[in-house]
Amino acid sequence: MKGRRVRTRGFFRILAAFAVLVATVFPWCGTAQAAEEVSVEDLISEMQKYDGREVEITGEAIGDVMMRGDYGWITVNNDAYAVTSVEEGRDFAGYSNLGIAVWAPRDELKGIQVLGGYKNKGDEVRVKGVFHRACPEHGGDSDIHAVSIEVLERGRAIPHPFAWWKLILALALAAVALALASMWRKRTASSLSPARRS
Amino acid sequence: MILRPSREDVKVIGWGVGRVILGVGLIMTVPLAVSLLSTEWNAALDFLVGILACVVFWLIMELVCATERDFRWSHGLIVASGGWLVAMVFGAIPHYLSGHFKSFLDACFDLMSGYTTTGLFLLQDLDHASHGLNMWRHLLTYAGGQGIIVIALTFLFAGTAGAFKIYVSEGKEEKLLPNVLGTARAIWMISLTYLVVGSAFIWVFLLKEGMPVIRSALHSIWLFMGAWSTGGFAPQSLNLLYYHSFWVELVTLAIFVIGSFNFALHYAVWTGNRREIYRNVEVRSFATTILLGTVMLSIGFGKFGLFRGLGEFFRKGFYNLASAHTTTGNSTIYSVSFLREFGFIAMWAVILVMAIGASACSTGGGFKGLRMGIVFRYLRGEVRRIISPETAVVPEKIHHVRDVWLDDAMVKGAMFIIICYVVIYALGAMLGVLYGYDPNVAFFDAVSAGSNTGLSAGLVSPLMPAALKVYYIFAMWAGRLEFMSVIALFSFGGALLRGRKAGRKAR
Repeated sequence: MKGRRVRTRGFFRILAAFAVLVATVFPWCGTAQAAEEVSVEDLISEMQKYDGREVEITGEAIGDVMMRGDYGWITVNNDAYAVTSVEEGRDFAGYSNLGIAVWAPRDELKGIQVLGGYKNKGDEVRVKGVFHRACPEHGGDSDIHAVSIEVLERGRAIPHPFAWWKLILALALAAVALALASMWRKRTASSLSPARRS
Repeated sequence: MILRPSREDVKVIGWGVGRVILGVGLIMTVPLAVSLLSTEWNAALDFLVGILACVVFWLIMELVCATERDFRWSHGLIVASGGWLVAMVFGAIPHYLSGHFKSFLDACFDLMSGYTTTGLFLLQDLDHASHGLNMWRHLLTYAGGQGIIVIALTFLFAGTAGAFKIYVSEGKEEKLLPNVLGTARAIWMISLTYLVVGSAFIWVFLLKEGMPVIRSALHSIWLFMGAWSTGGFAPQSLNLLYYHSFWVELVTLAIFVIGSFNFALHYAVWTGNRREIYRNVEVRSFATTILLGTVMLSIGFGKFGLFRGLGEFFRKGFYNLASAHTTTGNSTIYSVSFLREFGFIAMWAVILVMAIGASACSTGGGFKGLRMGIVFRYLRGEVRRIISPETAVVPEKIHHVRDVWLDDAMVKGAMFIIICYVVIYALGAMLGVLYGYDPNVAFFDAVSAGSNTGLSAGLVSPLMPAALKVYYIFAMWAGRLEFMSVIALFSFGGALLRGRKAGRKAR
């Protein structure tokens, strides 16, 4: 009995070791074959390195989906403002935007519903595809030909609370302008030459 | 002897600047309307505050500077140069209130860039900017391209005998019609007609390329304004690369090439003188330099080997070269690509054509084709003189609407302005290098600012040192006004200071 228990324990030890090996090696093998996750900043600054390679970017769908037959264009911004825009009160990151053009099949683009702009924070998407430094199919554009586009988080309307202080400032300026205008009218009625009363 | 400006001199200048600022306030009503139509209430308030600030300043100037004296040449020069600076400050109010600028200096930078049709910008998170702010940015370049003074002349200087003196001070010497107000209105008529036709063309192609109706309509107007004024602004951060459209690129290319030609040439063609297109010195100069630039670009591309096909050469090479030559700044590549994807030769081809620039009395900047033509003909004349008998008279002429014989004063004038441009390019580049930027990048951006082009190789950003921002504002302003008005403003300031000292001694 004791010998059988020892053999069973040994068997489970081997099984556990095998499981650890599988858990460690398989994901590693997987990442070696999968797209490399990269920021747009790196992509733009090291185009030669990533040219023709499968990459993965995550960011905000911006502007418009422009369909051209069965395929279409979408711009994906992968910058600080893609997380929180200036309109939502984000601190300045020190640049305008960092985006990349993505060329994708119609079916992949269907999932994108909210596009980023003044009023909306666009859908957060994960794009997998092949990066082209100077795409021969698109007149030398730097783009990603997407294999898949996954919507990670649905976009939302950006709240713009009414800026009362701006209204008060405008009213104060209007009051000053009215006072000055009445003074100017009194003066021009009596003193200036016709040439200057235009 | 430099005379101390009198109080009346200061008053007439103040009065003129007040009217210019009222003009800026009037232009702001357009983005205000766009904001209201787009239900962007906070953006609308930004413009309302801006308009009221302009009106208050104008009224103060009317009250404080009331005078019956008319403009002299020096007044015109100072109203133009000073008016642009004050207009920058007032125009920057909606920019700053929008919340997209880190500092008021950054907002002023974008304003000067817009007025001078440069196109460099420090605005952050452009892709989330409002329609109103985008309309203001593009309207700035469109209005600035015609000249702020031209706008003020059109509406606000009626009945002023000295109007021509202010008009000329803005870097425009052409008088299309005997009356300067007629000239200003003719410039507007030409520009507005092109606005309607050009925007319609772009709109059709944007619709074809899959953009929604309303957005494509707005984008078409903005793209037209950016291209026609050779400003180069676009509503998206990727500029023309955003649209991925050969047709949109082709139409904008045609618009900015036409926009970069002299208003006198436009007017001659409009009034039936089509032969002027082939005979005009500026068209010939532009054709020659763009051809040389294209040869240099193709050598550069051939060596670097990235853009190989004809389509790629046209869309990534020629488009950006023409954009640089016309000092537009629309671009179909990333900023860093000029350094990393173009290679040394192609990048310097772009720098050289930027430095030469567009036509005189147009919306463009740089040395100008007219001056290049004058200098080339002068040099050709000198060579002919050397190989001719000593007693031979070797006259040289240029054709610019009419035949003009070259004289020493004309050549000296052209050379002086070219030297001024070279100095501001070199100073900007030196400053950039001193701050640790790559020399090629420093040269590229300095020439771009001084020639009012707007392409960037990566130096211009909100993180650039404040001293460089101030220098670039100066370079854009001085380059746009072609130096004379700027020199007059500094002389006026000097004379004011010296005058005070003389007064104290007299006491």
